[in-house]
Amino acid sequence: MDVFDELEKITNQQYLHGDLPKWLADPVLAVARSPELFQGKEYLVEVLLAQVQEYDVYGETGCCKWAYDHEDITRTLRWLEEQ
Amino acid sequence: MAVYLDCNATTPVEPSVVAVMMRFFEMDFGNAASPIHDYGLFARTAVEHARMLVGKVVGARPDEVIFTSGATESNNLAIFGLVDAGQKSRRRHVITTAIEHKAVLEPCEELSRQGFEVELLHARPDGRFSPEQVAEALRPDTLLVSTMHVNNETGVLQPLAEVAEILAGHDAFWHVDAAQGYGKDLEPLLNRRIDMISVSGHKIYGPKGIGALIVRKREGRIPPLQPLLFGGGQEQGLRPGTLPVPLIAGLGEAAKLALRDNQERRAKYLAFRQNACAALDDLGAEQNGDEVWTLPHCINVTLPGIASDQAISALKNVIAVSSTSACTSHTRTPSHVLKAMGRSSAQVESSLRLSWCHMTPDVDWAAVTGILQKLR
Repeated sequence: MDVFDELEKITNQQYLHGDLPKWLADPVLAVARSPELFQGKEYLVEVLLAQVQEYDVYGETGCCKWAYDHEDITRTLRWLEEQ
Repeated sequence: MAVYLDCNATTPVEPSVVAVMMRFFEMDFGNAASPIHDYGLFARTAVEHARMLVGKVVGARPDEVIFTSGATESNNLAIFGLVDAGQKSRRRHVITTAIEHKAVLEPCEELSRQGFEVELLHARPDGRFSPEQVAEALRPDTLLVSTMHVNNETGVLQPLAEVAEILAGHDAFWHVDAAQGYGKDLEPLLNRRIDMISVSGHKIYGPKGIGALIVRKREGRIPPLQPLLFGGGQEQGLRPGTLPVPLIAGLGEAAKLALRDNQERRAKYLAFRQNACAALDDLGAEQNGDEVWTLPHCINVTLPGIASDQAISALKNVIAVSSTSACTSHTRTPSHVLKAMGRSSAQVESSLRLSWCHMTPDVDWAAVTGILQKLR
């Protein structure tokens, strides 16, 4: 299973069984299903995968940041588009 | 060029590690402590991603990973970081073993000078320290037990599971120097009784100059470490200084590969080992350390009648090997590890360490044995 397949699997899990909202899951799934568009950007796709895996609605609250929230994922999606 | 068989001293860097690092040297060079623009945010994202990857190898949470300059600094932080706690609680007894790396032994010697009582456990001829000795040495005022995971000179796996049982229910902090085993032998380091684990980047196909101290919470409490450096709040205040993002990202990539490719690498180590052992057997080599406990990427042998410095020199165009730890080889002092295992001076002076990796090419073993036989 390559990083794109894994991203699709984890995103579906987080959307269906976790807290990942549809508006965030959709653009992530678009990346996962278009590996040809993101060749050479696997490092960022791996980062995105980790962020989806550790998605927490309240990731930015509290004194320390040990989870990822919608801002992190949105930002990584933007970097994937820009770079 | 000789084939490099000194991977316990340092490993080659994986090409994908180099590729990740180059990105952070050339393009995304921001400061992780400046998340006020995309450069800083990207750097911070990379650091946190690497932190997750490094922790994952030992089942640790990202917030349990403190980046350092390498295992030597991690060992120093684990040992000296507890001095204040020891003095305040009047627990000044420390247990370690005679086969530790100098990066543990020398800090412990310094602890002795500062009034701590350091108890050094012997090693058995099989290359392992005895867990029973740990049980006997343990006292109510034992502050720290520091034992290695895998010995750097022999490749022998140490009895961590047994120590974990002995330390269950005891307050002593347990530090494991895992410079040689992290990312290679996975199971023992998953044990949550281990409070602190030292990690080195350049032993797992990552860059030099980066490592980590994994500091676990036990019963909700983190070991009461004090920083050794001051000047910034990075790494939860335990290790201030601007984070070397390229090195950290490289370590993260190396940790990822260590976990992902563990079995594949192990198979390659074993295949190489068969050929190495066959050649060494032809020379009447005596293995230092029990084969049962020796990790598959390393072997330390005594070659009776062949002085190790002569062998290293004679072999230099075929294979690059060493006789002892890289950190002591330049001093030409005899191996304290082999001595602690009860080897005679003659045996120690005829010992070679060969260590390889999944990227090591085939060796002309016939040439190796031919050269060594001529030295007798």
